[in-house]
Amino acid sequence: MQQDILTSAEVAKFISEGKTLLLAGDEALLGQLPKGKWIGGTIPYFISPEQGGMVSKDKIFVTDISAMASKVEIQAYDQNQLGQVYCDGGESGFSFIIIPAMSEVHSTFAINAPNYKDFGARPLIGWISGVHLDDLGKISPKVVNGESGEVLEKAAIVMHVTLPPGKVIDVGIVNIFEQSAGDTLTFPDDGFSCTDVNVNGVKENFAAYIERNKLDTKLPLVADYYGALVNISFQNVDQNTGEVAFYAPVFSGVRYKHAKAVEDYASAFTTQLQKIGLSDESVVFSCNCILNYLYSGLEGKSTAPFVGPITFGEIAYQLLNQTLVYLQVYDS
Amino acid sequence: MDVPPKNKPQWKDIVTGKKTYELKFLAAKIFLGRAVRTVSADPSPANINDAINNLHALFEKNSAAPTVQTDLKTIFG
Repeated sequence: MQQDILTSAEVAKFISEGKTLLLAGDEALLGQLPKGKWIGGTIPYFISPEQGGMVSKDKIFVTDISAMASKVEIQAYDQNQLGQVYCDGGESGFSFIIIPAMSEVHSTFAINAPNYKDFGARPLIGWISGVHLDDLGKISPKVVNGESGEVLEKAAIVMHVTLPPGKVIDVGIVNIFEQSAGDTLTFPDDGFSCTDVNVNGVKENFAAYIERNKLDTKLPLVADYYGALVNISFQNVDQNTGEVAFYAPVFSGVRYKHAKAVEDYASAFTTQLQKIGLSDESVVFSCNCILNYLYSGLEGKSTAPFVGPITFGEIAYQLLNQTLVYLQVYDS
Repeated sequence: MDVPPKNKPQWKDIVTGKKTYELKFLAAKIFLGRAVRTVSADPSPANINDAINNLHALFEKNSAAPTVQTDLKTIFG
């Protein structure tokens, strides 16, 4: 078993056997597990190997990384400490991070990660924990330090993993969205919301621009980072205040375009997979975005070879939106 | 392949945007997405050196990764 969806009793057994685990599930289930070499985050949405997209508060999604972890260190970071995340953990490994959605540490990471000391010095992959959409505003997303049993809502939890000799890893993304040929959009400030946008260099109100051009806000803004397409998803457009909110920050100086329409997630996904050409066996972890799950109707559908939690944000070195991120391990 | 020294001209060509390569290493792409813009806005020697130092460190610290090895061959042959 490398990735599967299991009962809490089955997960407890793996923990007691000393396995190194990355977990995703309901807070009540994670809170009952025994202490051990694991970290977890709250979310009830998954892509499971058998059922595909599913919602469950009774099962836990488990990624067993024991075979690729010769040593692990588990550490919580608040928003003031997180700037050190790329400096910690030593050499020859990677760091796995889970951050509670809508927390200070979430927004701090989103805005500042690309400027953290030693950015990218070791691979950083992970996800933003969340809640069932019916519980939004009622329950806060959490992360769990399995070693201490602490349940945290204002800190990120990180597992720094040292690889055994002869193993190397890579972090990748699958983004089905591409830039359209439309206007170039830039923003005056970094942030999760804005009122003003520069459209091909001309300033105007972004909400009014969206209304006038009838932009489909299920499609993200897309920036081209030296060939890596990075999405910014729309959260809300308030025509009364003129404010537009996003699920990840826009950055000043970065040029965005609205995404091209995607007719069918499955075929767009397959096209991207063919471009990447990765082997199924090398993928040890992946997660996909709740917005892809909702907008593309992934419940009951497979995204093979990828399974994993459905998240409130994906992390591959920095925060991403509407993107699948994956971790591969190879023999060197 | 070892990571070539910082004085190789290709490093400067990349961070100044003089040459563009189709890279695979995600962290380098994210870094360059910002660095090329920053250097192009202020192409002072200090800014260029800073970008080269950071990019070189990124490759060196991840030199075992398959995508880094592919990119080194793409850039330096």
